Amino acid sequence: MFFKSLDLTTALRPLLLPDETLLFVQDAVGLYEGKYKIPNYQNGHAYLTSHRVCYVATEDPRKYCVGIDLKEIDRAEYQARFLTSSPKVTIYPKPQNTKNDKSRSTTSSPAIPQQSTLHPLPHTGPSKSPSPKPINATWICPICTFSNPVPSNFDPATATATTNLPPCLACGIKPPFTTILKAAITAAANRDPPLPDASSLAPEDSTLTSKGRRDATTAGSVSCPRCTFVNHPSLIECEICGAPLMPKGAASQLDSGGSRADSPAPFFQQARIVNTEVSESIKLSFRDGGEKTFHERLKDALVQRKWLLQNAPPVPPPAQVTSSPGTPAATALESPQPAAPRVSAVGIAGLEQRGLEARMNNQLVIGNAFEDLEALMASAKQIVALAETLARESGMATNEGSAETNAVLSESVAALGMVTTKDMLSSGSETLYLSELSRNLAEYLTDDRQGILQREGGIMSLIDLWAVFNRSRNGVELVSPSDFQRAAELWEKLKLPVRLRRFKSGLLVVQRYDWSDDKTVRQLQEWMEELRQIPPEEPVPWDWLIFGRAVTAQETAQRFKWSVGVATEELEMAEDRGVLCREEGIEGLRFWGNYIVIPSN
Amino acid sequence: MTTTTSFPFPPTYNFPPFFTPQPNSNTRLSQLEKWSSLIQAWCRHHRQYRLSLVDAIDTPLFHNALLRKRLDLAAARDVLDWMTKSEEEGGGGRRAEWLDASTGGNAAPKSVAYIWWRRPEEWADVVADWVENTGQRGAVLTVYELIQGEATVSQDFHGMDNDVMMKTLNILVKRGKIQIFGNEGEEGVKFF
Repeated sequence: MFFKSLDLTTALRPLLLPDETLLFVQDAVGLYEGKYKIPNYQNGHAYLTSHRVCYVATEDPRKYCVGIDLKEIDRAEYQARFLTSSPKVTIYPKPQNTKNDKSRSTTSSPAIPQQSTLHPLPHTGPSKSPSPKPINATWICPICTFSNPVPSNFDPATATATTNLPPCLACGIKPPFTTILKAAITAAANRDPPLPDASSLAPEDSTLTSKGRRDATTAGSVSCPRCTFVNHPSLIECEICGAPLMPKGAASQLDSGGSRADSPAPFFQQARIVNTEVSESIKLSFRDGGEKTFHERLKDALVQRKWLLQNAPPVPPPAQVTSSPGTPAATALESPQPAAPRVSAVGIAGLEQRGLEARMNNQLVIGNAFEDLEALMASAKQIVALAETLARESGMATNEGSAETNAVLSESVAALGMVTTKDMLSSGSETLYLSELSRNLAEYLTDDRQGILQREGGIMSLIDLWAVFNRSRNGVELVSPSDFQRAAELWEKLKLPVRLRRFKSGLLVVQRYDWSDDKTVRQLQEWMEELRQIPPEEPVPWDWLIFGRAVTAQETAQRFKWSVGVATEELEMAEDRGVLCREEGIEGLRFWGNYIVIPSN
Repeated sequence: MTTTTSFPFPPTYNFPPFFTPQPNSNTRLSQLEKWSSLIQAWCRHHRQYRLSLVDAIDTPLFHNALLRKRLDLAAARDVLDWMTKSEEEGGGGRRAEWLDASTGGNAAPKSVAYIWWRRPEEWADVVADWVENTGQRGAVLTVYELIQGEATVSQDFHGMDNDVMMKTLNILVKRGKIQIFGNEGEEGVKFF
């Protein structure tokens, strides 16, 4: 198990991978390795996602942030508060042997279908990604001649004589460093040339390039890496010497491990603990509560294994006969998912048929999804996609104007994964909820895919934002106006890239952090200068070469893509600074360059 | 007001916002100063010593027919109010003075004001200088002669408002430069 580097978002939260969802956040968390505190990692936020446990320090978060993949976690234990010791959650990395067994059964399941029934959850069925590091080398103990496995974190390139070596499993005597080094190098040399026909033998298994299978003459048998005895494929250990057999998918893990070791530089620059191996365990110390929820959700996440879903194919729809036996058209939709051979029809009949098929498919997806909750979770992706298209269609049908809005809203369903809800946090910590909401908002605003702020000319009233944000939550976990305002007021404190600004009239607006009144004033001045260059459309009684032309709030809003309310406030702000002056007339309020104060020649 | 030469308006007179009271204090101050100097220049041009707001509000002074903009009565009164205050009070240096309802003859207060394009003290200097320069110390002149006499035709104070002249002369009395005698309306002045 390694500490991995984290990418942080603009709001200093971990950048989530595709399909990764945030499960829980807790502040005031400290990090331990084994029994000892890790310096600089003693006060921060712990983020539990469906794929990782992330830690982001409050001070200097870009420097001190690490993540641990859940797939490398064996189990998590809860340790209650004892005297002055804060409650802790201990995370144990997967030990070599158990990992081997698990991965073996997991990865071999597509080949041996009856084994998949042994799996606790249906999610893990068709996947093959979670392959741990294999044992690829052995060293012979010089004392008792027992064949020990070389530790998987032992890298011949970086290891030195001071590297901590495990003792012999049989006699408990530490081996000489050179013995292990030799064993590791030999194993690496044997492993390197991949077998060209391995992929052709089992094309569905592209990762099958390991030494364990290089000598296999048939796809079914496995030759032992140590004694070369050809074993039956379902065996886990060699029948003769007891050496663990190379499981499928092992090589890919080795490769990724190798590439990490090849380029350690960026990790080491960031922090000391990044990329260091956790041999024993790590602890998260919860100084401010939340440990119980964290532990529960972590356990759930470990059971659910969402990371397996990332590359998983869509859940195959169950046979049509079982779900809707009465429908006559159902037989034509035996497999609606991928390119099913369809009876080709032309003209209106073809269109109608296609429409019918699409409707049937939708019905099927929705029907399956609501069959039970488990199935809903599995087909969540499809349902969301369906909801998006339905929303888009209905938006098209009703009126043109709202189509764009609907598109934005339905697309933002995708962003739902990043939304912090009260549910994710322990109920007591109101401030944490607010700060997370605040970060959430900042991310929402600065997200380039949506470009909320850009579309509004870099400035947006808080009320508008509140409405858009709540609508993007699709009616779930809505944010109350007071919470929203308090979260927005935290931006400044949390040093987020947006800021809240109060105009003279009390109107609250949201702006980029680097946007200032000076910039707005400069823009307005440039515009005024421009107006002095362009002759007015109609003859005017004043000298436009000197005074230019008056502008209204509407014109300003149009030019800078602000809302009219914001434009009025910005104009008044500029007036307040003496850059503009006003003219009240029958046409309404108009603003001019301030030639009352500025010498007009 | 019967002058034939047209009054040269300053450029700001053609700036539409000039006729709207500005909310920004700095801009407002600048606006008031510009109005003050415009009113003084206008009165000096027209040899006007007092300004009746009701009469003046429709003159080109407050009404820019070209822009179709005007300073309304309240705004004009604000300008004059500011002019009456001293600079210490945040005003325009006492360049105007409201006529009392009794002396002005007009019933409504703050409807007519002296416009001091020269303060009475300044007028006193002008008159004293003239007496000095023309060697009339010790001479006796009537007030009518000072205002309307042939000898003062070339002087700025020729044709001066009688009340303004009396204020001026009173200042000279206080300075001990002259002595006033005679009945009201037929005063004579002796210069020392």
